[in-house]
Amino acid sequence: MNLQVDYDSTEGDISNGNLSVDKYGFEHSEDFNPESYEIIMSEYLPVLTRRSEKWSQLLKENTKVQKNLKVKRYVRKGIPNKHRTMIWMASSGAQEHLQMNPGYYHSLLKIQHDPMLEESIRTDLHRTFPDNIQFHDSSQPCLLTALFNVLLAYGHHNKDVGYCQGMNFIAGYLLIITKDEEKSFWLMDALLGKILPDYYTPTMLGLKTDQDVLGELVKAKVPAVWQAMTQHNVMWGLVVSRWFICLYIDVLPMETVLRIWDCLFYEGSKILFRVALTLIRHHQKLILEGQNFPDICECFKRITHGEFVENCHAFMQNIFKEPGSLSTATVTKLREICRERIQAQDSG
Amino acid sequence: MSRKKAQKGKSGCASPSTAKDNNNRSGKSGLVTGVQANGVVHPSRASVSSSEFYDVAFKVMLVGDSGVGKTCLLVRFKDGAFLAGSFISTVGIDFRNKVLDIDGVKVKLQIWDTAGQERFRSVTHAYYRDAHALLLLYDVTNKASFDNIRAWLTEIHEYAQQDVVLMILGSKADASHDRTVRREEGERLAKEFGVPFMETSARSGLNVDLAFTAIAKELKHRSMKGDDEPKFKLHEYVNKEMKTTGCCRT
Repeated sequence: MNLQVDYDSTEGDISNGNLSVDKYGFEHSEDFNPESYEIIMSEYLPVLTRRSEKWSQLLKENTKVQKNLKVKRYVRKGIPNKHRTMIWMASSGAQEHLQMNPGYYHSLLKIQHDPMLEESIRTDLHRTFPDNIQFHDSSQPCLLTALFNVLLAYGHHNKDVGYCQGMNFIAGYLLIITKDEEKSFWLMDALLGKILPDYYTPTMLGLKTDQDVLGELVKAKVPAVWQAMTQHNVMWGLVVSRWFICLYIDVLPMETVLRIWDCLFYEGSKILFRVALTLIRHHQKLILEGQNFPDICECFKRITHGEFVENCHAFMQNIFKEPGSLSTATVTKLREICRERIQAQDSG
Repeated sequence: MSRKKAQKGKSGCASPSTAKDNNNRSGKSGLVTGVQANGVVHPSRASVSSSEFYDVAFKVMLVGDSGVGKTCLLVRFKDGAFLAGSFISTVGIDFRNKVLDIDGVKVKLQIWDTAGQERFRSVTHAYYRDAHALLLLYDVTNKASFDNIRAWLTEIHEYAQQDVVLMILGSKADASHDRTVRREEGERLAKEFGVPFMETSARSGLNVDLAFTAIAKELKHRSMKGDDEPKFKLHEYVNKEMKTTGCCRT
């Protein structure tokens, strides 16, 4: 039993016993509290063990990952690290694309590089995860070349998007988890091409739309906060644009982000609203204490830190309870309305 | 924690948050002289957040091409620190606060740091109109970022308030070996547009505090109309206080 715990908790651990970094290679932040981390992990490790056993059993019985209620429930309770790449690949359709297009990824790297694309990627290369040892020039292995390749290949593959800041963080996380350029590329393609709206295109219309959709959802579900935001003229984009573009990277703790991504790959982008609504609804009292524009802005920064979000398992249970029902039809409808409204404003 | 100030006013346009939002002009005492004219008088401070008190708050935005060093400049100002290679690219829009003491008045600058990539402009220019001041940066080692200053100014004139406080900064002035834009070129361009200008270095700290202090002074003086004190002249102040990278100057 204990062996199992150790195995899963150190699965993919690249810290090599280096206590100043976590198992993904990130240096602990200044507000890292080893004691509260220990407490959270002592509760989370048995959960991980149990989930790991359940997943092993499930995968033994099924050679193919099917989409059904049982698997959905399993995904919501967290995919063990050792199965993460496989489940993300299978549930998002990335695996299918990879198999249907052998050699495609590598061919993208061989074509004439677009110099503008290359330069914009290079500007961000060393500004991606400077606090992660895997992204240091000197480290072995170093993920910087892989990061450059994935972003360059993607820019060639999807010329409408090219490279947009924020994609560097997404590709970085994918590389940390999959440790594989080609898989990261196809997962990136699943995210940007299928799962997410057009967040990263030059007009960023999908991003602007989803910011407004969140506003509408808050208006319906947490009206007091919506009112405060309106009263103090805090535009949603100011406080939540990073939440959407970075898919919560560098907003929430990594373990929590990975749990969100489990659902993102399996269920789709609606999960991003569940997370945002949970953060806002849970902290509405705090937000409403804000008496002016700067106070409210600060509050939106504070609510993405602390035990509520660090305890990822409890947080993930919360996101399916706290905001109440949220149907795909509602999100689709709101997206249509908000998109039309923005387009009308832009052309008018 | 006492949050005494109740704000009712709608702060839709670029006016200092305290000065305009505070409808309660009941400041009877002269406890904070000079601030009275604005209706921002409080025996206790105007607003409390994150344990810092302030009398008046302004929104400042940092703009300029990707990689010119906006975040570096801000962190140097905020924390006095410069750590090469420790910054992540800014996505969307982010902010940091700093409270400055300007002639006895606690001025809170809420400094919005923006993504430099062109496509983000369609997202960030919506916030220009709320900004009281804009710091426009180019990188003295990157000619393209300097050439883009004109385009940035066009954008600013289109979206920002007419009376926005504007300053052009040539960043990374310490990098003498890689320099591709001479200081005179920056000066000439700034003069052409009638905008104060200085070169800065987040690495050495050159003019970093000055850039923000000058802006805070200008905004504070503007918000205290009706005061007896002489008008603050931003251009003159900057030219007097500014330091240059030249080795022979003291």
